[in-house]
Amino acid sequence: MGRRLLRCAGYGFSVTVAVVWTILPIYWTLKTALFSPVEAVAFPAPIFPLHPHLAAFLNIFGFGFTDANGQYFMPAGQAPQVIHGLVNSLIVAAAVTAITLVIVVPLAYAFGRFSFRGKTALLMAILFSVAVPPVSTLIPFYILFIQLGLTGTKFGLVIVNLTVTVPFVTWMLIGYFRNLPPVERLAQIDGFSRLGTLLLVVIPMARSGIAVAAVVSFLFAWNEFVFATQLVNGTDAATLPTAVSGFLFLQPQPGLLSASLWISIVPAALVAYYLQRHIASLGMVDAFY
Amino acid sequence: MTKYRRELSNGQFALLLSVPVIAFLLMVMIYPMTYAIWLSFQEVSFFGGFRTTYTGFANYQEALLSRDFWWSTLVTIRFVLLSVVLSIGIGLALAMLMDRAGKWRSILGTIIILPWSVSLYGAGVMWAYLARGQTGVASSLINLIRGTNTSETATEISLISGRHIVDLLALGNAWSIAPLVAFFLLASLKTIPSRLHDLAGLDQLTAWERFVHVTLPPLHYSLFVFTSIAMILSMKQLDFIYVMSAGGPGDASSTLTYRLYELAFRQSNYGLSAAMSFYLLFLTIGSALALHFLWGRKLENA
Repeated sequence: MGRRLLRCAGYGFSVTVAVVWTILPIYWTLKTALFSPVEAVAFPAPIFPLHPHLAAFLNIFGFGFTDANGQYFMPAGQAPQVIHGLVNSLIVAAAVTAITLVIVVPLAYAFGRFSFRGKTALLMAILFSVAVPPVSTLIPFYILFIQLGLTGTKFGLVIVNLTVTVPFVTWMLIGYFRNLPPVERLAQIDGFSRLGTLLLVVIPMARSGIAVAAVVSFLFAWNEFVFATQLVNGTDAATLPTAVSGFLFLQPQPGLLSASLWISIVPAALVAYYLQRHIASLGMVDAFY
Repeated sequence: MTKYRRELSNGQFALLLSVPVIAFLLMVMIYPMTYAIWLSFQEVSFFGGFRTTYTGFANYQEALLSRDFWWSTLVTIRFVLLSVVLSIGIGLALAMLMDRAGKWRSILGTIIILPWSVSLYGAGVMWAYLARGQTGVASSLINLIRGTNTSETATEISLISGRHIVDLLALGNAWSIAPLVAFFLLASLKTIPSRLHDLAGLDQLTAWERFVHVTLPPLHYSLFVFTSIAMILSMKQLDFIYVMSAGGPGDASSTLTYRLYELAFRQSNYGLSAAMSFYLLFLTIGSALALHFLWGRKLENA
């Protein structure tokens, strides 16, 4: 009985360590967003905010805030850029997700279910594209976009994002499609055409895998920083990460930066429960054997 | 005969589906790659309009002869090795915790997956705040323990130093990769029949023996795949390093990706940057192949 109690305590302790490890960096930033001005400049930094308030979260959206002592917090000068960045990020991420899925679903289906000549070579090409460092594709696109006048456009940013999402998501989905039950023959007997089989039978069966693939592409485009810094920073097409980077590099505002980061985590946090249930159904492990 | 015809039309259908896609991939992948190859043989100048001059292998040679390139290569290797070991280790630990969590699994899983969905630039800011002396967790904790809470008496402890910045970056990188590893390892852990654990109990195996003989074997192939994935992701890592340390202090954490970025977009030395990017690509693919031949192939044959 004593040993069992000890085991339970050990497990509880391990879980606590894991949760602290996971949450600590995120918490440390939230705390900065909630600090009062006195706490923000205090050294050493308090571990818990004693007088938390939501000023930073309102300020980044252009609202003022008056706290209990009557102190007024001005709206951030960059509020218009933050809001604009939020909208741009949504548009870019949605476009990247939609285009990625349209490209990747048929491709992964063809690779996962059929054998045809040249398949191995094409698979290798996809794996190779996953290994290419994004910086080295950024240089050619940057020079091309300068010549075509595409820097500072959402269109250009979407194209560059696709160079990362398409190979990665294809890889995630190939194994998933392969592991689905073999329904093609049955569908054929029921009179479905090949395209009909894909659209009406296979895609509905594969919806959880496709949903996870969509979330992965959305999060990648939503979170992408270096491409955006280089291609759209300071323009009308600036996405949230670049709009926010002003709080980091130009004029450090830890409170506002932290609040903006928290806003950027919201979409991810909303789907976290769904993601953790279904992510392992993607066949990343068995795509290639 | 019928079988042959069905196979053929499978192939045709697959081609029909993939031709437009492959055309698109050619556009977005082959174009930049070819252009980068061409660029690596040129000297680019922007003054007086965009001009390039063919210089043969000069850029490749310059890279090999520069001290900076070799330093960055070493930094990259250190960063990647540590990142891989930490990501796999932490991922495995998280997977085993979730495996035993029972009805709390979904809640634990929702918490554990969060770092993976935090952007890398966000993670960079978070880890920088956490590690700095002024705002950091180390200063806060040590002064809390000592009871020195005024700025005159408090000591400042910064975790960011030239000696250990790469280790810290690898730890932060592992923070963001480990959840992905954990969920796929968890899926493999679920395939172990509980009978085996009961038998291990009957045989009175120690916890360590049970880990080595019952838990690890079914994970072997997944461990290989995720070692490869963690390695490739770490080799490509730029956002996190860019935000957290910007290659510094000095050039203590200038990985190859950071060096490439700086050469191209700060110094407009596109040719040299492109040439170095191919060395990085060789290093990435070379390591992936080495891993495959030394480890993965044995598993497939087994």
